[in-house]
Amino acid sequence: MAFKIASSPHINRQLQTSTVMQRVLLCAMPALVVQCAFFGWGTLIQVILAMTVAMCAEALIMQLRQRPVIHTISDNSALLTAFLLGVAIPPLAPWWLILIGTAFAIVIVKQLYGGLGQNLFNPAMAAYVLLLIAFPVQMTSWVAPITAAQHSVSFLDTLHIIFSSSQIAVADTYRLGIDGTTMATPLDTLKTDLHSGITTADSLQKLIFNGWAGKGWFWVNLTYLAGGLMMLRLKLIRWHISAGVLGALFICSAVAWAWEPLTHVSPLMQLFSGATMVGAFFIATDPVTAATSNRGRLLFGAIIGVLVYLIRSFGGYPDAFAFAVLLANISAPLIDYYIKPRTYGHLRG
Amino acid sequence: MSLTASTEHTVLWPLTGGIHPPEMKLLSNTTPIQRLLPANEYFLPLPQVGETAVLAIKQGQRVLKGQPLTRGISAMYLAVHAPTSGTIAAIEPRPSNHPSALPVLTCVLQSDGLDEAVSFTAASEPLSHEQILQRIRDAGIAGMGGAMFPSHIKLNPASKIKRLIINGVECEPYITADDRLMREYASDILNGVALMQQLLQPETTTIAIEDNKPEAAQAMRQALAASTLPQCSIQVIPTKYPSGGEKQLIQILTGQEVPSGAIPAHLGIVVQNVGTAFAIQQAVYQGVPLLERVITVTGSNIEKPGNYWVSVGTPIRHILEQTGFKATPDSKVIVGGPMMGYTLSTVDVPVLKGSNCLLLPQAQELADAPQERSCIRCGECAQVCPVSLLPQQLYWHAKAAEYDKAENFHLQDCIECGCCSYVCPSDIPLVQYYRVAKAAIRKTREEKLHAEHAKMRFEARSLRMEQEKLEREAKAREAAEKRKSAMSGNEKDAVAAALARVKAKQAAQGAVEESPAPTTADSKATIAAAVSGIKAQNQETSGSNVTNQEDKKAAIAAAIARAKAKKIAATPTLTETLTASAPAQAADKKAKVAAAIASAKAKRTQAADTPNTEAQLSAPNATDKQAMIAAAVAKAKARKAAVENTSAEVDNAAVTVEASSAPTTLTESTTDAAQKARIAAAVAKAKAKKASSATATEAPEKTTAASTIAAAAKQHTEGNMPETVNTDGDTHASVSLSDDKKARVVAAVAKAKQKARERAREQENN
Repeated sequence: MAFKIASSPHINRQLQTSTVMQRVLLCAMPALVVQCAFFGWGTLIQVILAMTVAMCAEALIMQLRQRPVIHTISDNSALLTAFLLGVAIPPLAPWWLILIGTAFAIVIVKQLYGGLGQNLFNPAMAAYVLLLIAFPVQMTSWVAPITAAQHSVSFLDTLHIIFSSSQIAVADTYRLGIDGTTMATPLDTLKTDLHSGITTADSLQKLIFNGWAGKGWFWVNLTYLAGGLMMLRLKLIRWHISAGVLGALFICSAVAWAWEPLTHVSPLMQLFSGATMVGAFFIATDPVTAATSNRGRLLFGAIIGVLVYLIRSFGGYPDAFAFAVLLANISAPLIDYYIKPRTYGHLRG
Repeated sequence: MSLTASTEHTVLWPLTGGIHPPEMKLLSNTTPIQRLLPANEYFLPLPQVGETAVLAIKQGQRVLKGQPLTRGISAMYLAVHAPTSGTIAAIEPRPSNHPSALPVLTCVLQSDGLDEAVSFTAASEPLSHEQILQRIRDAGIAGMGGAMFPSHIKLNPASKIKRLIINGVECEPYITADDRLMREYASDILNGVALMQQLLQPETTTIAIEDNKPEAAQAMRQALAASTLPQCSIQVIPTKYPSGGEKQLIQILTGQEVPSGAIPAHLGIVVQNVGTAFAIQQAVYQGVPLLERVITVTGSNIEKPGNYWVSVGTPIRHILEQTGFKATPDSKVIVGGPMMGYTLSTVDVPVLKGSNCLLLPQAQELADAPQERSCIRCGECAQVCPVSLLPQQLYWHAKAAEYDKAENFHLQDCIECGCCSYVCPSDIPLVQYYRVAKAAIRKTREEKLHAEHAKMRFEARSLRMEQEKLEREAKAREAAEKRKSAMSGNEKDAVAAALARVKAKQAAQGAVEESPAPTTADSKATIAAAVSGIKAQNQETSGSNVTNQEDKKAAIAAAIARAKAKKIAATPTLTETLTASAPAQAADKKAKVAAAIASAKAKRTQAADTPNTEAQLSAPNATDKQAMIAAAVAKAKARKAAVENTSAEVDNAAVTVEASSAPTTLTESTTDAAQKARIAAAVAKAKAKKASSATATEAPEKTTAASTIAAAAKQHTEGNMPETVNTDGDTHASVSLSDDKKARVVAAVAKAKQKARERAREQENN
């Protein structure tokens, strides 16, 4: 009788990529709920839209590349990309924005580089930057938190706005009718104010901040932090990248703030506003485009943190995560080349 | 003992990486070690036979249990013993207990069921170091943890050993052989440890056991408390795979790392398996060689999982039959544990000294890895790697066959523990990639080494050839000198005269036409050719008696002669080859060349209007042309003789040709009759041609002489007469012949000429 031949090891942890991706998505779900609670149905619609486009685009491209379609799309990585892009763009952005972004992320940034594991750049962030540069108006009109706007936009109204052909006009109607439904993000506002000579303290008195870090944003960031800690606990990610990002951002902003508190954002506000937490735990930790060794990952994260601080403070864009992540992606191969763990039995250095 | 207690809680260093796979030990460790029914036949691989060992038995011979099957004296020699009594049924290649199952020379022992043993001599008195080592060596004890490294080498280190570590970790899931052995034979193991201590004189001894074997640790503690082992402690370490790896265990216990490419002795540490310790005490105290070992037979495809005493060489088929193996088409038979074990394609292979487990899982128990997916660089592999490699980078490079880059990432330090594959969410068989890469690197290294050896061999050979050539040339020169000095006065005179004539001719020629000064031997030959060509042309224009036909013949002959001369001149390598080749061949070629030149000369002579076959060297009034031809030929001969002076035949040929220009004593002093015949034929042909031309110019004496020569030549060539041929026709026969006879002779000569020409053509073709 011939017996089955296999190479060792003969046991496997049975934790597969699809499961990992699925669990990451689940960890991000509470934050989606919170985001919807504060910014309306728009985010959910965008996420669903993005996921649909992503699956279709991936299936199509796998068909074209003559690779197994089901085997690939079942790894759930496209869903995660779509999710990240969906929560990153303004909730009331027109439908074609997310369509272009997602298709670009999946087809060009991911599949044209060879598919999962081969892409150099984080697909969601590359797509975000594309949209930000190509459609700056749509990408910077953020929805005001519901409580701040006093009026909530219903699910159907949201759908109407997103799928309306003359989207800008409709949004303007809303803007005119319901004051502050779309507006700049808190970070954007703060930056503009600081540039106009208004101190941090004065700027923070504005309605949008509702104390500090911006109404809604704080809670969204907090839920992402919780989701990130959950992922750490489940060992879906390791702590190095997130710690690098948050640590570097905190240190940079703390130094600046200690030096001149009036014109600088406090480190805690830096950590809990904008895309900080989702970026630190869900975006920067994309293993494909990050460095691989532990020390390398710390450095990779730190690069992102420093870049985020620099771009937020001195750059022209309100938030900086997409740019910071892409720039760190570029340096990942270099980091991997120079920072290797010391192998057992090899002397240090 | 207080000592044990005090050293129990020493500092442990953490293992880098590692995993916690399901242990699955309860399946086999709850029952005592049992015995199986003996097998009918045993397979004993003899991989060292033919390399470092010789057979001590022959086919058909009856052997007793414990009788050595091989003999060897090398340090790496590992004795192989008959596990029971019986006859040697065969000594032939059989499938090996290896993933490849490649055949290895195996002794097949047919058991007679008597289990009759040689008498084992127990040690009665304390043994010396050498005696202990000798007993261990004679017992054929090898590392029983799996590596199968000869223990007598490991226990006889060159450097001072500070620490002896006894490995009872057994970190692989499923395997419980050492666990049961420690539980049941703790004091025997400690006796073995005592012997190792005696050999190594370590400062401390540590017996390491994982904390998932509390019973074994307890048994060992009790045995240790009852023993008198100095500086020995039991160390319970946390359960984590692969803590039982030699390097990993050293790291856990000492915090030190074995340098890459070195052995633990480098750090003053020796690690031995508990099974080895047991075998050593048996060998030393009871004189029993390593005949059997404990093997775990486990997995849900086995009815009676447990640990068994199994003779080394027992076919695995026998063990599976005895323990109730439920074979299904997709069954796996794994030798070793689930992490590092390998599958067998056939079960007709033997248990080896290092086989510690047979794992027979059901398909759902150890599921096949799903199809490999893309690496997402999650880095989990790097987190669990016990030697801190970057497995995802290694995989990347291994898959792309960039083996040099993989080596830069320390591929060679991979211990193939399988942790990376275990955690990989994309189910990539990483270890398999590394094995392939390592094998490829090994192969490249070997090829490189081979190429280097080949290059060295070639260079050495070239050098040798060069030296030999120089020596040969020196010898040849010496021989030529000797020959020159030994030459008779006559011959010397002849050569000298020929040279003088050549010079005179050249001087004369120089006035009329340009003839470059003969600087080298090569150019001399060229000149000779040129001169002969010019001669032929001269003759064509001046020879009034010559017919058109003869005119053409002369031209053709001249052209051939020129071509030949050029060939000789243009191919100095040919003459070198001639020098280098076998003498017979050289002689053959020389003879051909001589014949060709002679024929060319003859044609030229034939074309001459006043043929004077006498052409006395001393006579200045001999025809210019004849003399010139003779000179050219002589010069060519002389040159050839200089080049080919290894053979006396060339000299002879030269002399012969010389003689043929002046009629003619064909003296052949060499041995080969065939060659002589050929040369003689050529000379005769030349004579014949000369004779025919003489006929045309009504020179009766010459004709007669030529006819005589032709006849003699014909006889000679056809009869292959080995004797010296004297053709002094011109002095004897010429005078008395009448005109009638002359006419007849003309006919005969024409015929002879025809034949000679045919013959010459044949020779040329040859």
